[in-house]
Amino acid sequence: MAKAQNPAPQPAPPGPTANAKKYAWPEKPVVLSTRVKRLDGPDKVSGRARYSFDINRPGMIFGKIVRSPHPHARVTAVDLNEARRAPGVRAALVWKEPGRGPENEVRYQGEPVAAVAADTEEQAIDAARLVRVTYDVLDHVATEAQAMASDASVVFEGGNTRKGATQEAGNLEEGFKQAAHIVEQTYSTHVITHVCMESHGCVCEWEGDKLTAWVSTQGVHASRQQLADGLKIPQANIRCVTQYMGGGFGSKVAVGAEGLICARLAQQATAPVKLFLDRKEEHLDTGNRPSAFAKIRAGVSADGKLTAFDGQSWGTGGAGQPSGFPLPYIYQFPNRRRVHTDVFINAGTQRPMRAPGHPQGCFLTEILMDELADRVRMDPVEFRIKNLPEASPNAAWGDYFMQGARAFGWAKRHPTGDPTPGPIRNGFGVSAHQWGGGGRAGRAHCEITSDGGVVMRAGTQDIGTGTRTIVAMLTAETLGLPVSAVKPEIGDTMYPACGASGGSTTAASISPAIRIAAGKALDQLFEKVAPQLGVTADMLVADAGRIHVKGSASKGMTWKDACKLISTEPISVDGEWEAGLSSTGTSGVQFTEVDVDIETGIVKVKRVLTVQDCGLIVDRLTAESQVYGGIIGSLNFALFEDRILDRVTGQMVNPNMESYLLAGMSDIPKIDVMLVDTPVQRARGVIGIGEPPTVSTASSIANAVRNATGATVRSLPLHPHRILAAIEEQKAGGTQ
Amino acid sequence: MAQKNNDPEKREQINRGRRNFLKTAGVAPLAAGVAGAAIAEAQTGATIVGPGNVPVQLMVNGKRVNLNIEPRMTLLNALRNKADLTGNKRGCDRGVCGACTMIIDGRTAYSCSTLAIEVQGKQIRTVDGLANGATLHPVQQAFCDRDALMCGFCTPGFVMATVALIEKHPNPTPAQVKAGLDGNICRCGTFTRIMEAATSVKGVARG
Repeated sequence: MAKAQNPAPQPAPPGPTANAKKYAWPEKPVVLSTRVKRLDGPDKVSGRARYSFDINRPGMIFGKIVRSPHPHARVTAVDLNEARRAPGVRAALVWKEPGRGPENEVRYQGEPVAAVAADTEEQAIDAARLVRVTYDVLDHVATEAQAMASDASVVFEGGNTRKGATQEAGNLEEGFKQAAHIVEQTYSTHVITHVCMESHGCVCEWEGDKLTAWVSTQGVHASRQQLADGLKIPQANIRCVTQYMGGGFGSKVAVGAEGLICARLAQQATAPVKLFLDRKEEHLDTGNRPSAFAKIRAGVSADGKLTAFDGQSWGTGGAGQPSGFPLPYIYQFPNRRRVHTDVFINAGTQRPMRAPGHPQGCFLTEILMDELADRVRMDPVEFRIKNLPEASPNAAWGDYFMQGARAFGWAKRHPTGDPTPGPIRNGFGVSAHQWGGGGRAGRAHCEITSDGGVVMRAGTQDIGTGTRTIVAMLTAETLGLPVSAVKPEIGDTMYPACGASGGSTTAASISPAIRIAAGKALDQLFEKVAPQLGVTADMLVADAGRIHVKGSASKGMTWKDACKLISTEPISVDGEWEAGLSSTGTSGVQFTEVDVDIETGIVKVKRVLTVQDCGLIVDRLTAESQVYGGIIGSLNFALFEDRILDRVTGQMVNPNMESYLLAGMSDIPKIDVMLVDTPVQRARGVIGIGEPPTVSTASSIANAVRNATGATVRSLPLHPHRILAAIEEQKAGGTQ
Repeated sequence: MAQKNNDPEKREQINRGRRNFLKTAGVAPLAAGVAGAAIAEAQTGATIVGPGNVPVQLMVNGKRVNLNIEPRMTLLNALRNKADLTGNKRGCDRGVCGACTMIIDGRTAYSCSTLAIEVQGKQIRTVDGLANGATLHPVQQAFCDRDALMCGFCTPGFVMATVALIEKHPNPTPAQVKAGLDGNICRCGTFTRIMEAATSVKGVARG
């Protein structure tokens, strides 16, 4: 998740382990792939669910960070005295040491400089204003163009840009010779921020040298490690808890400066401290999706085969951060060359954001694909199918294009440019996407007690996808119990270590661990039951709340009676992720219909249809919810959100939620989700679906706008002024 | 989108205009401390309280809540930080995202942009008081049944906005749902399911 990368081609997956074979997914699941309502729904809708932001501890005080107002400056002095004397103040610290070296520089607006803690939140805000910071203001660059200009001030050590290695295949010259048509254009996408509804932050409480941190994080174990590293204390002295968290989208894999600052304030004040960022701080300093630009020259043969791709790409991940993305995306250009340059600007640094790199690479490629299709007068779907990589279970776009086109009514699409008179023009667009997902290390612990109770513990966390619910479902399926009979426990470093929830890996990492832990625990129970029934353990099955002899439902006992055979020592078994129960690689396609008002430039998305696979579906209900959410997220990327930096001052002009726009209820189209549930997909095991659906909606919207208006907007977001400009350009002769 | 103005002279004119606006609006004297407060009192006849803690009595979910807080404290912060009523959430803190939505005297309000001291004597309903013990309010039940939540942080605000909507329109049309819930934002993208939930709620009497 940390680095944007193209998940295909995949290395050959390792074969299934002995445990994976023994505890293979059932051919006819009872619980899995059904629609189970999320178990913590009632707690969330009633306000009973305590998010990290909601933790109130006895004697708790509030922290506030002082941040640089300058995009680039040297901190030469920090005076905390006045702040320390302010009402209610209990702690104050310097975060950015003053001095004259590069380590004393702040490199973006909002970089932390100092912090205070006070009895009330209002007092902390007052005191933060009294921290006197002296800055030597330095030159800054606020846009990619400024940073790359030949006369730009070099504001980053080693230069404002960093060129990557050239990626090449085939023979470019030969490829362009084969081309009957060549398109040469520049395409781009913008920077957006994560805008988690619950801001970043935590509550920290020390007891002697031991720290408990209630963090809003996508990774409790990762947070513990980072806190330990930053505070230079043993991990064993830290407990991180995240029972509920309000969105992360990739930005909460790290505790960030705010976590370390909170812990230090709590240490200094000898009181629990709550430090949650405000909305402006969220936009400035908790990550973003990098921009992406590409100057592309691409060729297509007269019969519609892609022949050559030559691309120079660049983008910014902010101050000193990379901005990579896959390009070209999915479609096969046999002869290609691509070189990427990271551009550094004085702006908040990027963090992984829902399918990092893919929405950018997808947009840059998919718009190009429609331009190329028009050159050879081919239908966009037919043209895409002609240029796909070889089909496989994790690359099944060809089938999905056909299925989706039928269900969507793609045949009704008119050629580029809606001929209807009047201001409202209608158009269809299409796009495809891929994502890796898949499993990696993850652990779980299953406990069965003599009263029949089942607890499944895993040190994972629920980022909002419904993790708690699938932990219970997977356990229930394995033990032949109803979901309600299992108590899932997650979100705590007291439980077995699991990875951070990033890269759509959570379900695929924990599912095998849970399946194996529950399977082994059940084996132990079978050993106790078998003598009572006069059979051997391998003859038993667990089904519908009973343990009985295979093929003879009456020869057995209830789960409760079976568990009475357990002594005071519960059955207690660990499991961990093993190859063979999860897979990697998903594919999907999306179709979109829009109306565009060519007088105002306003786009209304009418409907989106997606065909999406994700291997073995765990909870169909929450899987569908993730697809809806991904599509709506991408609609925001296409039409609304945009981090706008003033190009003169380097200040973000919309660090809020009223001018950083996001969709509301009235902006939501009709969405049809077609989850692929076939024997082939089920056999692949669990994969994960959080990210794939958010990759390509923006591209299919942009292509639909092109189909409606006949004008190509090559730059996201599709704000009205861009659409009107593209229509004007088209009228003036266009670039086609 | 946000208008930029890089012409310094023009910017100065705008700033002057703003200062005049603030003066005439009476905000500047109020912010100027004790002396200013006295002037404001003379001008408006209003009682001046603060800047320190003052007693504030609220009626929340039918129960009296006695607080001793600064007059500048918002209703949301007062309930979350001083009364441990953490059901409603703080998302944007400036009246846009709707996670803090409460119902005050029958109307939805952004509690992040409402001062606690302003709503004394009014009936305040928060998400914490909506369920009847273990029995969820029909709106809450519909949200669970339709999976109209993911991370769930915006959910309390959506639930309260939906309750207010349903009490006004017991069988809302999609257009009414859009109008009623357009003041709330969900980042996970649960709108499709919220629409299903809001149009499927049964058994709520007109408020």
